[in-house]
Amino acid sequence: MKKLTTSTRGLLSEIKDEAAEMPVSERRNFLLKGLQLTAGSAFAMGAAKVMAETPARSNVPAWTKKLGRGVVSVPYGQPSKYEDDVIRRTVSWLTASTESSISMTPIHEMKGIITPSGLVFERYHAGLPDVNPDEHRLIIHGMVDNPITLTMDDLMRYPSESVIHFLECPANGGMEWHGTQMEALQFTHGMLSCCEWTGVKLSTILDEVGISADAKWVLAEGADGATMTRSIPIEKALDDTMIVYAQNGEKLRPEQGYPVRLFNPGWEGNTSIKWLRRLEIGDKPWYQREETSKYTDLMPDGKARKFSFIQETNSVITSPCPERPMLRKGVHELEGIAWSGRGTVKRVDVSLDGGVTWRQAKLKGLVLPKAITRFSLEINWQGEPLLLQSRSIDDSGYVQPTLTQLRDIRGSNSIYHKNSIHTWKLDTDGTVSNVQLG
Amino acid sequence: MFNWDNKNVIKSLLLIGLFGFSQAGLTKDTGYYGYGKSATQEEIAAWDIDVRPDGKGLPVGSGSVSYGEELYEAKCALCHGAFGEGEGRWPKLAGGFDTLTDAKPEKTVGSYWPYASTLWDYIHRAMPFTAPQSLSVDETYALTAYVLYLNDIIDDEDFVLSKDNFTEIEMPNKDGFFVDPRPDVKNPACMENCKDPATIKVTSAIKGITPLQHIAKEEGANDKASSDSEDQQPKSADQVAVDNELKVGSAIYSQSCSICHGSGIAGAPKFGDKMAWAPRIKQGVEQLNKHAIEGYSGKTGIMPAKGGNPSLTDAEVSAAILYMIENSQ
Ligand code: HEC
Ligand code: HEC
Repeated sequence: MKKLTTSTRGLLSEIKDEAAEMPVSERRNFLLKGLQLTAGSAFAMGAAKVMAETPARSNVPAWTKKLGRGVVSVPYGQPSKYEDDVIRRTVSWLTASTESSISMTPIHEMKGIITPSGLVFERYHAGLPDVNPDEHRLIIHGMVDNPITLTMDDLMRYPSESVIHFLECPANGGMEWHGTQMEALQFTHGMLSCCEWTGVKLSTILDEVGISADAKWVLAEGADGATMTRSIPIEKALDDTMIVYAQNGEKLRPEQGYPVRLFNPGWEGNTSIKWLRRLEIGDKPWYQREETSKYTDLMPDGKARKFSFIQETNSVITSPCPERPMLRKGVHELEGIAWSGRGTVKRVDVSLDGGVTWRQAKLKGLVLPKAITRFSLEINWQGEPLLLQSRSIDDSGYVQPTLTQLRDIRGSNSIYHKNSIHTWKLDTDGTVSNVQLG
Repeated sequence: MFNWDNKNVIKSLLLIGLFGFSQAGLTKDTGYYGYGKSATQEEIAAWDIDVRPDGKGLPVGSGSVSYGEELYEAKCALCHGAFGEGEGRWPKLAGGFDTLTDAKPEKTVGSYWPYASTLWDYIHRAMPFTAPQSLSVDETYALTAYVLYLNDIIDDEDFVLSKDNFTEIEMPNKDGFFVDPRPDVKNPACMENCKDPATIKVTSAIKGITPLQHIAKEEGANDKASSDSEDQQPKSADQVAVDNELKVGSAIYSQSCSICHGSGIAGAPKFGDKMAWAPRIKQGVEQLNKHAIEGYSGKTGIMPAKGGNPSLTDAEVSAAILYMIENSQ
């Protein structure tokens, strides 16, 4: 804060002294009340700020009239301090502890198709391990001719590839199977990200160790406290599964599995084992906890789907959304994102009337397989209430279903893979809320 | 050494020199790159901790239901409950039979899990939550036996579970799973007159359960004209200091204190529980700091010194306390 009058300064230090005597419980409230008092007496400052916010045309702002910071004042660059609202968030009542929990990407703030590494949602089952890459080893064994252990240096010698793919938790949107619960986009769809990933194809390594003709499954295991494990069918492993060590041009972030993770394009995030330490090749699945107790989809008849790997096509409108209400009448670029674990987004339709009529939106920017794809549609909003929906179609011909269609087959207890058409209700005052249509 | 007999060398020469086309799509021979070290049988045995339903991977050992009970009460009950019912939000481990078709199914080891091997494997690799891979092989057999006993899958208190009798155990829901049949839904992608607008029924979100402070703030910012000068004030040094202390406190709390205070396990006053905190806050900051920094044994349980994390500074512990109190009154 800038200039405080001497009297304000005096008042503040008085308040501080008094506060020191108090039990801590009261201390903060008291401090804050005191501050409001001083704020009132120094109202001139407030007025000055209001003026600063409506500058006259000739006004030269303060930052123009002085020298800025020099190079490497921040050796690793950070977003502007004015962007401190663009952060991951969690819903604390969902889980018993933060070590076994989830946080969501602020997708309402994202531009383009790449999610900055620091904003990619987190999912831990036993907290975030601090893995030393020099000590970390990856062992590959089982039904192979030549079992090996690799250091990180070894791994990085193999020919590398870079791919841009989304990564999504299969429980994304899962809180909404029984009805709407979450009042913001970050919480309805935020277990989603899209990054460039660099590493070596798993098939390269499987060729290298020589797998048996009877090999059918690969067990991947992480080095976290959960030693998280999943069984991956050999067809996927030989197709596009990767072992990745870099993300968006730099080494993986700890949250995404530093120093190395598995990456299964288009599949539920849980199969892309982080902090990868072991790959075992076998002839049967292992039926680990994460493919029996969890990540199985319970149907209305009491039976459950297992190995439900694919993230089917999904889409959502990101502007407007509850966090980004319509501020003004007039022309607005309605924007959103679509993605499909089966392939490339072919078409996105938008409805403004709750699905009675649909219009084709435009796909913008890069349209890549198994990646976030942006769509947009210009609308001229004159304050009428709308029910906004988007519907994605991928190149396999699969069309994003309605929630009713999903529930008719799957009931409401399957937790995972809720990829239904999402509805935002836009009110006459421009506010947007999460609704479901029956 | 240059060895013309080495087929890899020849192969690469052929690839680059003679044909000059891309290597993509060609399968390489085993050991083509030769990176890393061969893994020895010993190394593999030490790393390979998984167990399959057919018993592959089960080590030699055994444990009784009664030994399991002892271990469970000491190491598991505080989170999973004495009967496997789950304390607070911690996972339930027992019960829920015949609920899988209910509106609120209870999926537990007994009601849902298809194989007992998963239980052995998971307890051994991941539990207890705060000390994974601390259980011996025999302890794991005993705990597995006891969790199965809590689920009436083993009904003999004197039962001893071992490598030899393990695969005889049958789980009630072993036939409860089938391979994912998706795509299972066909949306015709209608473009016009897709439904009668009069039939649309709109249901809204339950209010008040989503953390929305950040949006409220944004809306305030959009509404500048009506906001009073107080809101426009930059924060004072003191307010910033308190905010910073709370920020530090919040980080320390989630790292070192939430494990007990988050759910109120082991008699810890629960975060946000005003009733539990009121009499404690009355003691004053100094007493709370002293108790948390030095540790003490109170009426409801044991508070370990600095929450069991001696690397915390006194100031960090105090910041965590401030944060806890701020949110519990
Ligand atoms: C500090 C609390 C805590 C303690 C103590 C604890 N657990 Fe757990 N347990 C958890 C949490 C949290 C999970 C879920 C972890 C996750 O998110 O993957 C869990 C999961 C489990 C599961 C899987 C439940 C399911 O339905 O998928 C089993 C089985 C289990 N624990 C057994 C044990 C046993 C046996 C012990 C004692 C040796 C134990 N736990 C001690 C917190 C605890
Ligand atoms: C292993 C569990 C555990 C952890 C971890 C833990 N606490 Fe506690 N804490 C307790 C228990 C149990 C009590 C209640 C003891 C009693 O009064 O019987 C308690 C009580 C307290 C109290 C109230 C003291 C009083 O005089 O009433 C404070 C303050 C406190 N803890 C702070 C912390 C802080 C700060 C941390 C993290 C640095 C922390 N605790 C971590 C178990 C824990």
